[in-house]
Amino acid sequence: MPDAPDILRLENLQVHFPGRGGVLDHILGRPSAAVRAVDGVDLAVRRGEIVAIVGESGSGKSTLGRVITKLIQPTGGRLLFDGDDVTSMKGFSALRPYRHRVQMIFQDAYQALNPRHTVFDIVAEPLRSLRLVTDHTQLTQRVRQSHAAAGLNPPEEFFARFPHELSGGQRQRVVIAGALAVAPDLIVADEPVSMLDVSIRAQILQVLMDLRQQRNMALLFITHDLPVAWLIADRIAVMYLGRVVETGTADDITFRPRHPYTVALRNATPHVRGHSDREKLPALKGEIPSAARIPNGCRFHPRCPLAFARCREDAPPTIEVGPEHTTACWLMK
Amino acid sequence: MTKLTAESRRHLRTQAIKSFLRRFLGHNGAWLGLLALAFFLVLAAMPGALVGPLQTAITATGDFLIPPSTQHLLGTDEIGRDVLNLIVHGARTSLTIALVSTVISLIVGITVGMTSGYYGGRIDAWLMRTTDFFFVIPSFVLALVITPVVLEVIGRGGDILGFRPSLFVIILVIGSTSWAFVARIVRSQTLSLRERQFVERARVVGTNDLNIMVHHLLPLLVPQVAANGALVVANAIYTETALSFLGLGDPLQPSWGTLLSLAERAGAASSGAWWYFGAPGLCVLIVSLGFVLVGNALDDTFNPRRRAIP
Repeated sequence: MPDAPDILRLENLQVHFPGRGGVLDHILGRPSAAVRAVDGVDLAVRRGEIVAIVGESGSGKSTLGRVITKLIQPTGGRLLFDGDDVTSMKGFSALRPYRHRVQMIFQDAYQALNPRHTVFDIVAEPLRSLRLVTDHTQLTQRVRQSHAAAGLNPPEEFFARFPHELSGGQRQRVVIAGALAVAPDLIVADEPVSMLDVSIRAQILQVLMDLRQQRNMALLFITHDLPVAWLIADRIAVMYLGRVVETGTADDITFRPRHPYTVALRNATPHVRGHSDREKLPALKGEIPSAARIPNGCRFHPRCPLAFARCREDAPPTIEVGPEHTTACWLMK
Repeated sequence: MTKLTAESRRHLRTQAIKSFLRRFLGHNGAWLGLLALAFFLVLAAMPGALVGPLQTAITATGDFLIPPSTQHLLGTDEIGRDVLNLIVHGARTSLTIALVSTVISLIVGITVGMTSGYYGGRIDAWLMRTTDFFFVIPSFVLALVITPVVLEVIGRGGDILGFRPSLFVIILVIGSTSWAFVARIVRSQTLSLRERQFVERARVVGTNDLNIMVHHLLPLLVPQVAANGALVVANAIYTETALSFLGLGDPLQPSWGTLLSLAERAGAASSGAWWYFGAPGLCVLIVSLGFVLVGNALDDTFNPRRRAIP
């Protein structure tokens, strides 16, 4: 796996939304600050690899998922897919080959399914829209295969059902089946299990892991849940306020975190008890700042229990602290 | 297997229709409205079979302005024509104008509203300013301007798409002034629908904008459009009556509005010929009330929590 070529590569990727200032700002002619949701992310996902992106709400991880699936345009940096620059690609027909290879799984499966469409139509929609199959027998065949791969058995039972007749887990399986129908190389999964019961969660995670095994499909798994990330991912990237602060193997991040933020995240999780020399760090105070007012220096310094003078002035570079383990923290210098 | 699927799908559909009808017909207003509309639709469908051909000054069967009697159930007008005969033939003209202009206004309104709401930004701004323009145009003034122009070009004889020129103008005028209302409603619905996640999913799976609008948004707009469409028809009947009353109707194909206009000119009100202006007036009232009742019942059925005030 470590030698596999990159399927997705983000280089200093940025998504800035134009800010909306208040009335007073407007009168005084002050420029309103842009919301820097994603602010310079470097990340690579290899073929057949599962990478988890972990972060609090507001860390920009969902925006990152939306920009990779081309629901929003990046405002800076580069987005490379399988070696091709797709940063500025847009428009329905230009994106067709990309849509064929990159699909998405949504957090709220109920919202992601049109209440008026049957399960068959939902799963067949990508095949029809991308015109991958034209005759009906072939379409039914592909839809049946996708159902089976997503664990909707027997497939025919579900064809004529409507989303509201399904359970939460089944709905998420329908979303997965729809994403699988085109046999993509990369699936972006935005919190796919956070709305599900714990008992259903494991089943859905198992489906996703099986798919990687069978189809060598890469998965970018966005979550706020470190244990889930550890369970499913090969590598984990920790995001804070629009930037990746630490990347490493799932075990390294979970049991040997180096960045104070990752340590705090880990300590906030009751189930995972690893070994770390910074076990005694105090819990995080306060909340993640607004992406429109990102602090100077290291963006984590206002909440960091170990911050010192340099953290307030300069942003730390990304430092290699081990094989496949990088962190952006001055303490590692 | 495929047969089974198709069957169970059909079953689901009949179930849905049944439950809809049960709730819809639970409203007393819906019953009244539907009965009234069915009655007038029958009149409009076969006026010739019910009361014979439209009477003219030459074929008039009665004396001038006689009150209702067994021979003339609704009396006669100032040139001896049977008012019942005129009313039944008027039903056809009035309902045709109302329904066709509603269809025009729904097609234009849905197209404009959905495009505007879905794309947003500059397209939205331009389309909505255009909508505002049509929103505030007084239909009477528009009709007064358009009618002579069209009649000059086409001539009074002949027909356009099966309508006599002046009827066609009225249909056009009503259609073009009432779509703005529909467009605004559709736009506001689209604005909230397009933020739903299934629209986002449709984009990720490669569905183009047109298909998103037709397959994802339109089916969810139907309830709103149906409920408001019934109100648009009622409004179209009012407008048609008013325009005809002002003399823009076609005397050779009289609508209820034209009859009211004739009654007014014949001095029916001051000479006590209440049947002459009462009959068409009551018809206008009943039909538009029928549409409003049906519209309200539809609105209640589709979203019981929100009551639209017409």
